[in-house]
Amino acid sequence: MSGAGFAAPHVDYAATAPIIALTVGLVVILMSGVFETTKRWAPGLAVMTLAATAGLLLWHWNDQIDLIAGALRVDNLAISISLIAIVSAFSTILLSIRERAAEEAGQGEYYALLIGSVLGMVLLSEAENLVTFFVAIETLSIPLYILCATNLRREGSLESGLKYLIVGSLGSATLLYGMAFIYGGTGSTDFAGIAHGIQANGMLHDPLILIGIALAAVGLAFKTSIAPFHQWTPDVYQGAPTPITNFMAVATKAAAFAVFVRFFVVALGPETGDWQLGLAILAAISIVVGNVGAIGQDSLKRLLGYSGVAQAGYMLGGIVVASEKGLSSLVFYLAAYLFMNLAAFAVIVARERETPYGDDIRGVRGLMAERPSLAWPLTISMLALAGLPATAGFIGKLYLIEALVEGSYTWLAVFIAVGTMISLAYYLRVVAAMWMGGEETAAGTSAAPGATPVISGASPEADPVDPEAGRRWYLLAPAVIAAGITVFLGVIPQPLVDFATHAGSSLF
Amino acid sequence: MNINWYIVLSALLFTIGATGILVRRSPMVILLCLELMLNAGNLALVAFSREVGNQQGQVFALVVMVIAACEVVVGLGLIVAIFRRKLPLDVDDLRRLHG
Repeated sequence: MSGAGFAAPHVDYAATAPIIALTVGLVVILMSGVFETTKRWAPGLAVMTLAATAGLLLWHWNDQIDLIAGALRVDNLAISISLIAIVSAFSTILLSIRERAAEEAGQGEYYALLIGSVLGMVLLSEAENLVTFFVAIETLSIPLYILCATNLRREGSLESGLKYLIVGSLGSATLLYGMAFIYGGTGSTDFAGIAHGIQANGMLHDPLILIGIALAAVGLAFKTSIAPFHQWTPDVYQGAPTPITNFMAVATKAAAFAVFVRFFVVALGPETGDWQLGLAILAAISIVVGNVGAIGQDSLKRLLGYSGVAQAGYMLGGIVVASEKGLSSLVFYLAAYLFMNLAAFAVIVARERETPYGDDIRGVRGLMAERPSLAWPLTISMLALAGLPATAGFIGKLYLIEALVEGSYTWLAVFIAVGTMISLAYYLRVVAAMWMGGEETAAGTSAAPGATPVISGASPEADPVDPEAGRRWYLLAPAVIAAGITVFLGVIPQPLVDFATHAGSSLF
Repeated sequence: MNINWYIVLSALLFTIGATGILVRRSPMVILLCLELMLNAGNLALVAFSREVGNQQGQVFALVVMVIAACEVVVGLGLIVAIFRRKLPLDVDDLRRLHG
């Protein structure tokens, strides 16, 4: 109780600046929502906050600093993952312009929650202690539960928010219980301390640590939507407002994978050989379940949800090998995934507002004839997600497979290749719907003639139709630029390879 | 000090919570069960903290309490929103998103 044994830890304010900037931005945006006159500044303030944070993060590029008594660590992995989350949040702000959900929830609250979630992601990518790890993962998740439910008038949105809350909290509780056992087994909450404790006891001989690691891995698998803990993913992706789905799909995954790899490589580093096989099996299940589940989905958001499960399986491969190359390929794939997904989601948002079909595949039928400027980005995105050459997705998969083969996990590389083949079935179906128009009608899934086109999460009676949505700059620009970057990185991948290599070298 | 009984109790609480989430259908009861699971984690943390002899576990448990409160606030808010929309307060009936 007396201050004798307690010395306040040294705080390096320069290195914590990005976190401080996000926190200040969050408060300012929330306050701006209070007054009628400042309300409309909220998106602008959010963009400024993100830009400031990105600048402050880049300032520390190539630094390796332990912050606040080893609670956080700023290194290239943390910075690169934070940048991916920030770009994703920025694109979400663009897609949210004129979005019903943002108006329903109140501009200030909507953007403040978005920034709050980014804050959680930046913290999570820097976390080097179980306490900060848990706090960050909740700071990331709790705003997302609310954001999923912001479209209050749509049943699906509320349902997805509640589902995400229940499953997400279940994942968090499992993670926490695992953390408690790891702490009990090693006597430390610090990643370095845990590594030390494991080295002393041996992981396989201490049931406490073994239970702890298994439960923590399950909790993390919930968060990264790895099968068999993925069931919430398609439901939540479909029900959430589409801009938020765009954010969740990439940024959450990036941040959760960052801490996944840091936890397994730093804290459990001494026993690498013992956990590799377990994760490899999870990755293989994910690839199969995700790709098979996506076949036959009519809702594009659901389809991308299942595809996200499969992609999480591919990315987990980068952790399995626990090598510098594996980590670089993971960061590369996450960055490529950001642009591939963004191109698809921008088009889905545009079509949701243009057509009465919501995110149903019928919304994009004949798109090539009607709106080539939207059809091309979606085509490129689908081909890239499937991993066709001359796209960033191909280079990403190549890089992952190379890392797996070098790490002698060739069988998992074979799974990735086979998964890619299966995935063509559903990605090409979307492309076919766009390019060939009415072909799918004959197959007529559930659409009886004259039936109300309310199938998927978006219900047309609630969403105002804006027939010009596909020509608005804030939807067209993200779609075209993201598709452009996807192709550019497929042809000239070197800039992103350098970026990923820097990130990969920070843990090994 | 032998902490075995504390760990057994926390394992029981965790199991009761997890079972409750699986079998109960009211979102309110599910939220209660989530609390039970988080508190099982807290009990384990405090017990282990006593065993290993440092305070990190106790601090962690305090932080978790705050987070659990946040989760309940958001969960109850969502339940109120669902109630206002006159949707069924039953997780088996909330299956518009399915397939």
